[in-house]
Amino acid sequence: MFFELKDVSKYYESSENSKVFGAKNINLEIKPGDFLALVGPSGSGKTTLLNLIAGLLLPSSGTLLHGKENITSLSLEQRTQHRLDYMGFVFQDYQLLPVLTAAENIEFPLQLKKIDKYEIKKRVNWALEQVGLENLGNRYPKQLSGGQQQRVSIARAIACKPEIILADEPTANLDSKTAQEIIQLFLKLNEELNLTFVFSTHDQRLIDQVKTVLYVKDGKIS
Amino acid sequence: MSELAFLLKYSLRNLFRNHKRTMLMIFSLSLGCAYILWVLNFANSSSKEIINEFLSQNTGRYVLTNKNFYEDNNKKKFNFYKVIDQNIELDKDISQFITPRVVAPVFISGQSKTIGLLLTGIDVSRELELSTIKDAVTIGNFISPNDENTILLGIRFAKKIQANIGDDVAILGQGLDGSMANELFRVVGLMNFGGGDLEEAMAFTQLKSSQNLLSIPHNKVHQLVNFSMQDTPLPESSDFVSTHWKDLLPEISVSMQFIDNFTWIVCIVIVLVLSLGLSNTLMITFLERESEFNTLNIIGAQMRWVCLSLIIEVLILGTTALIIGTVFGYLLTMFFYYYPINIEWFTGGQPIYLGGMTITPLVRVHSHLDYYWKVPLIIYGFLMLTMIYPLMKVIRRSRNVL
Repeated sequence: MFFELKDVSKYYESSENSKVFGAKNINLEIKPGDFLALVGPSGSGKTTLLNLIAGLLLPSSGTLLHGKENITSLSLEQRTQHRLDYMGFVFQDYQLLPVLTAAENIEFPLQLKKIDKYEIKKRVNWALEQVGLENLGNRYPKQLSGGQQQRVSIARAIACKPEIILADEPTANLDSKTAQEIIQLFLKLNEELNLTFVFSTHDQRLIDQVKTVLYVKDGKIS
Repeated sequence: MSELAFLLKYSLRNLFRNHKRTMLMIFSLSLGCAYILWVLNFANSSSKEIINEFLSQNTGRYVLTNKNFYEDNNKKKFNFYKVIDQNIELDKDISQFITPRVVAPVFISGQSKTIGLLLTGIDVSRELELSTIKDAVTIGNFISPNDENTILLGIRFAKKIQANIGDDVAILGQGLDGSMANELFRVVGLMNFGGGDLEEAMAFTQLKSSQNLLSIPHNKVHQLVNFSMQDTPLPESSDFVSTHWKDLLPEISVSMQFIDNFTWIVCIVIVLVLSLGLSNTLMITFLERESEFNTLNIIGAQMRWVCLSLIIEVLILGTTALIIGTVFGYLLTMFFYYYPINIEWFTGGQPIYLGGMTITPLVRVHSHLDYYWKVPLIIYGFLMLTMIYPLMKVIRRSRNVL
């Protein structure tokens, strides 16, 4: 096990001194190669859980461990560095940088990691190959379809060779055919690279193909 | 190195993301820079031209006198007793701009009145070379170096004592030796100082005539006036001192200093207003990209990286705008160097009244090299300050959540 949430809760104080829970007493172990879907209606706490795993939100109580490292005790800058070193992100609306080409978008986190430029080139080509966009590296995001943009987003996430990919509603903005392609790509990367995936979704097509489904309701996993 | 190149590429491309807005910012910043450069050059050249015209008419830039000449005790005497040798040895560089003068308060009687004024004895040939006092004579002629006891009066003064060209006026004063000085002088010209007070305060005659009148030896004078355009002080000794025009006419010097300082204040206000506008535009530009900064942070970019990229954007924008502005400011200044500005355009056709005389200079706008690094540097400084608030807003508003 390399990511572990121990009795993690996240709540917000409301105006009447009552607590609104985004996550409540969550205990979760994520093992290498896991393919986990967080399923639940809007406002159930799926995204809060992803934010907690990513270290973007700090829990109100409980502990988040990566191996033996307690992520909750890290500073803001250390958590940012931790995300760069170990995590990849895929967003619902792709979040590519519009002024950079597909290849440059993939290059971006590698530059942040100060990787050697030959290695960067190698990894960008590899990532583009993995997502099937070998010939589209020079295109800007606006010159790509939604599905292609999501592939670039996935390529950017895997280029750093992270231990885990966190995806927030990755197929929500895609048509069913493209969504299916993205699911297949996730599964391929999971199997071939033994890459761990944790994603939130309420897309039934995706849920049907997932090894482990965690239902989230009112901030709790059921 | 590769990371810096990437950062530069990212910042540069972001600048052209909304190229119309970027161009507008560059345009306003460069226009502001050019305008300020031109205004400062114009103000500086104007005050220089005004002063030069004023000084070249009568006052001179430096006056060499006996070290006790300006003492109160000397001024109280009817004749200024403290004289200096006319032939003091000076460098050729200095002596070519020097003309001797005798100055003394006297009474002049015309047909109707006797009024006091300051009689100045001048070396006519030297004055014709160095000063522009001749230009003030609008009625009659300038005094001739070959004549004796001819005099130039101000138009207002001549009117008061009812003296006309060709009339004899009686001068009454006190000689250097304490004797009574009394002589007839013929009016040959009337001076027009635009109706200024100088028309009632000054009269000019030949140096020799004034020395004869006041029993001053021909090798002695009261002043050696320097009409050089340079501010190089004259040498001093235990017997004589050199006095700058600013000390002789402090009220004019202060007025000029006020104009210079006020111009700087106006320029700083322009920069401030420009900065506020830019700050607002930068804030809009930065906040539009809030979600992008959030993504950058989520995928591993530290906030300092985000801020650095924004700072680089503003630096590129500022550098481009200030280079364009400086070149444009220089060209604008050069244009008005070749096509001088008539100062009357700014005074509704009226001449400038200064120190008892009116002047109407044609201002040739000179480039003051200091401004070409000071102004861009000040604007750069303000630009950096301008950025602080939008940057703080970006940092404060960063949510860093999915």
